[in-house]
Amino acid sequence: MDTAFRKIDIDAYDEDAFLESELFEPDPRSPAHVLNDAKQKQTSVRSLLAKGDTAGALASALEGAPYGPGVDEAKNLTLQSVVSILNSTKSTEIPNVVRSLSQDAQDTLMKYLYKGMGLPGWGDVSGSVLLGWHEKLTEAAGTGCIVRAMTDRRTV
Amino acid sequence: MSNVLRPYLAAVRSTLTAALTLENFSSQVVERHNKPEVEAAGSKEVLLNPLTISRNENERVLIEPSVNSIRMSIKIKQADEIERILCHKFTRFMMQRAESFIVLRRKPVQGYDISFLITNTHSETMLKHRLVDFIIQFMEEVDREISEMKLSLNARARIVAESYLTAFNS
Amino acid sequence: MATPEEYQIASVPITSHTFNADRSQLAVSLNSNDAQIMSRQGQEWKVTETLSEHDKLITAIDWAPNSNRIVTASQDRNAYVWQQTTDPHTGRTVWKPTLVLLRINRAATHVKWSPLEDKFAVGSGARAIAICSFDPENDWWVSRLLKKPIRSTVLSVDWHPNNVLLAAGSADMKARVFSAYIKDVDKRPAATVWGEKLPFNTICGEYTSPAGGWVHAVGFSPSGNVLAFASHDSSVSIVYPGGPTIINVRMASLPYVSLIWTAEDSLVAAGHDCQPIVFSGSEAGWQVIGSLDDTTAPKSSGGASRFGASGVGRLNSAAFNTFRNADSRGQSSPVSGQTSTGTELMTVHQNTITNVRPYQSQGGSVTKVSTSGVDGKLVIWNVSNVSGGGGLVPRLSGMNIK
Repeated sequence: MDTAFRKIDIDAYDEDAFLESELFEPDPRSPAHVLNDAKQKQTSVRSLLAKGDTAGALASALEGAPYGPGVDEAKNLTLQSVVSILNSTKSTEIPNVVRSLSQDAQDTLMKYLYKGMGLPGWGDVSGSVLLGWHEKLTEAAGTGCIVRAMTDRRTV
Repeated sequence: MSNVLRPYLAAVRSTLTAALTLENFSSQVVERHNKPEVEAAGSKEVLLNPLTISRNENERVLIEPSVNSIRMSIKIKQADEIERILCHKFTRFMMQRAESFIVLRRKPVQGYDISFLITNTHSETMLKHRLVDFIIQFMEEVDREISEMKLSLNARARIVAESYLTAFNS
Repeated sequence: MATPEEYQIASVPITSHTFNADRSQLAVSLNSNDAQIMSRQGQEWKVTETLSEHDKLITAIDWAPNSNRIVTASQDRNAYVWQQTTDPHTGRTVWKPTLVLLRINRAATHVKWSPLEDKFAVGSGARAIAICSFDPENDWWVSRLLKKPIRSTVLSVDWHPNNVLLAAGSADMKARVFSAYIKDVDKRPAATVWGEKLPFNTICGEYTSPAGGWVHAVGFSPSGNVLAFASHDSSVSIVYPGGPTIINVRMASLPYVSLIWTAEDSLVAAGHDCQPIVFSGSEAGWQVIGSLDDTTAPKSSGGASRFGASGVGRLNSAAFNTFRNADSRGQSSPVSGQTSTGTELMTVHQNTITNVRPYQSQGGSVTKVSTSGVDGKLVIWNVSNVSGGGGLVPRLSGMNIK
């Protein structure tokens, strides 16, 4: 008696089940385009930082952040730019910078904070910097921002 | 280093409050069943992004939220061999008595030392802000616990060695 | 004006509540398989009857005000319609259940009577909505299922005033408007902003909020021309079908689970934040007006010792303390009393609000709303009593670690 049918995972064939990719709207830009954008942003961020305009640098880095599958290099570049801005901001300036960001940018910043804390190796990211930003960002944007970082499937 | 503890615990507290937005959700996969979705992992759309909060390389908290349950795993700081053993014994002691802790999970998630599983029934019977308080207090005290145990262990070892070796002093 | 009327109905969560037409009686489901009918006696609500027919948790109840029928839906895949009849033996009026053939194979999550009370919609975990109408030949309710394109559990439903269109929010992050036109029951509806000539199961619109998130609550405005939905990304979205985009109001507080419209330009939403919030606006934009709960005045003895269930959390740390003290110091633990070392919630509700219902209307707009929550309280709020436009994040005394 052929009983192999008992070992089939029937739930895998369920057509209505969600795939990872269907949970969010895909990025309309193509991967190469995204990579270009990320590189351009890195240069503009560096120049803005040299001028001392941290708020502007952060806003431009967080805008149009890459998300979804297939754009890993762009994601890494953007993460590095964001981290360099976070490291170079003085702790007294953080509340002002955070308040000057738009709601979209605040949500994206929260996503980057969690991503930074979740990285296995530490590299040039320091715990106290990220935690300090997290505290100030939560004060400004509230727990709603954290809920959005959890709910939004467009993972950076 | 203690000035990093405060924002660390504040970050964990706010993330936990945001994650404890649980509601009763019947399983979509099996009829008449109601299980914690973070453990059953039946459907992808009811699970949320897991978040990590870390103070440094060795101390991390992982929170995996879903619609009706959250799983929170803590990695405790273990600097040397003695602390590793003490931590292992301590967490094992608690996990064996997980039933009286109610929200504790019997096995920690891979890569962490201790895990909690909070479901919607817990957040219905207990006040959410008190649950968060309990977990933050737990995190504060675990470190203190292990250092105290290590100190008393060393003290006892010294006393034992002294009293043993004075016998050879004659 | 008046402070909200607070009733502590139970010490268990109230899953769902609904009033009858004159607000003298209340049907509730107290996190159990039975529904209770409570009557107002003086300042309290006393249980007068229990409706037991379901064998799993009742997830939603709705009371049709004009025809005086109650529909209950439960996680056991069934729904019953209850009618008041005179019991031939005793002569008392009892509630008699009528079977509903839902034909769903998962739990039912939400139920609502249509405005004309000849149909009702049941959302379920079977990724379908059952539209039920009465079949007089066989004396039961039959259903037709709305399936495509729902991909996940339906979390809430709401009817359009024209009795044909239905809005549904589901866990696949979308809010949709369906046509639930049943040929022999409905008359052909007039054209609306959502479309015309709509056969059964047509999608008139599918909406999502930018950050995604399960849609917990949907609601049509009193005219039916605007749709609002609250999703898990802590935002409320308002859809004007003719207009360009969906207006999305992002909140700094926890997500909302229930919402109702109080007038054509204002709505009340409540959820994990434990306080009802009023929104107002128009096609130009929407914003938060304030909270119906005055969080600045400290409430009497918050949630500390109310259930003793929080004592479980405290007991755990007391046990913990016992282990710790006995081990390293060899002393028995001092009993740590329930002092205010923990956080206190300054809101009236001490836990999530699960249901907001209109309580009293005047001249087309709702003047009072009732909320029930996981803490077992039923509170009736005056909609005009809005306070604190700024401090919307619930003030937890001692929480803000400065």
